[in-house]
Amino acid sequence: MRCGEAERRLSDDLDGALSPRRKARLEAHLSSCPACRASRDGLARLQAAAGDPADRSPEYWAGFEGRLEAKISAIESGRDAAAPSPVWRRWAWAALAVSVLAAAGAWFTLARRAPVATEAWIPSGDALIPLIEAAEGDPGLEQDVDRLVRASLEEFGGSLDADAAVLSTADPLFWESVSDDELRAIASELEKESGLGGPK
Amino acid sequence: MDERSEAELVEEARRGGREAFAELVRRHERRIYGVVYRMAGNNSDADDLAQEVFLTAWKAIGSFRSGSSFYTWLYRIAVNASLTFLKKRARERNRTVFDESLGVAGPSRMSPSAPEGSSAADELKARIEEAVGGLPGHFRAAFALVVDQGLSHADAARVLGCSENTVSWRMHKARRILRERLKSFLGEDRS
Repeated sequence: MRCGEAERRLSDDLDGALSPRRKARLEAHLSSCPACRASRDGLARLQAAAGDPADRSPEYWAGFEGRLEAKISAIESGRDAAAPSPVWRRWAWAALAVSVLAAAGAWFTLARRAPVATEAWIPSGDALIPLIEAAEGDPGLEQDVDRLVRASLEEFGGSLDADAAVLSTADPLFWESVSDDELRAIASELEKESGLGGPK
Repeated sequence: MDERSEAELVEEARRGGREAFAELVRRHERRIYGVVYRMAGNNSDADDLAQEVFLTAWKAIGSFRSGSSFYTWLYRIAVNASLTFLKKRARERNRTVFDESLGVAGPSRMSPSAPEGSSAADELKARIEEAVGGLPGHFRAAFALVVDQGLSHADAARVLGCSENTVSWRMHKARRILRERLKSFLGEDRS
């Protein structure tokens, strides 16, 4: 090992990043090179003296945390002021959820009796994306939607076949999260099995 | 002492838990302050930067991926905020130099120095602080993470978004520059 490489390896060694094989080679070089040994001693002194550059008092940290908390409070109150109140927001989403469920439920009710045009019952997937996203990020809203969906399904439950009821109960957001294509595929399957519903 | 694990605290904070986030701040504030202090070189700017780091973390914690390392993520925010700050300060200083050349007085540059009557160790620490403050930003970041915070090259590489080899090279270069500047204090001045 030459002195140039030894200097690089000395740095790695101080950081604990040297493999045993390289460390052995470095030690062998140091044992025969006074200049590199002096370098190692200088780097070790530098490392030891660097220490913690920022030593603050407990009072400082208490103040630091208090100021940060105040800034976070300001951000959060700004968010609350900018957004509709949670109660109104939840009612708005709930109303949307109910209308979608009513559309899906109505289709099931009608599908048991007669074929229907696809466009008449497929809800708009895009309109539901904000609801799904909001429910995912808001446990309270998710519970509200869950409760409303279950209540709506129970209301239409008498006209749902057993498989659909189980599927919906297992995943209350199922009908909101399926895409238009998926809905068409489901309708197609229903058409094949029962001769009712599905795209024409 | 809050005994919740860091993962639990992060999950609560992601759901909007302010108290959980406050506990995360208490656990990491000293280390983050250490990094931004090393980068900025003074307490006033370090205080502003540390506040900025935690505010950014609060705003972005929803995008933090569970399963990844929270402290690595925080360090990354700290390093990025510090590098942005250093660029801004360099621009301001260049403008000050330009203003001074036109006869407009600007703020004077301060360098850390040990108080009068301090020990040789304090003097060396102050000189190291000054010398580290003269390193290029990315070298300073590597020094802060590896030497001050004790991160491995692998962890520092994750924070800095580079390879371990790059961290190794930056550390080698940083030490070389520091040794050159601090020769007389390290007892290596053979001239």
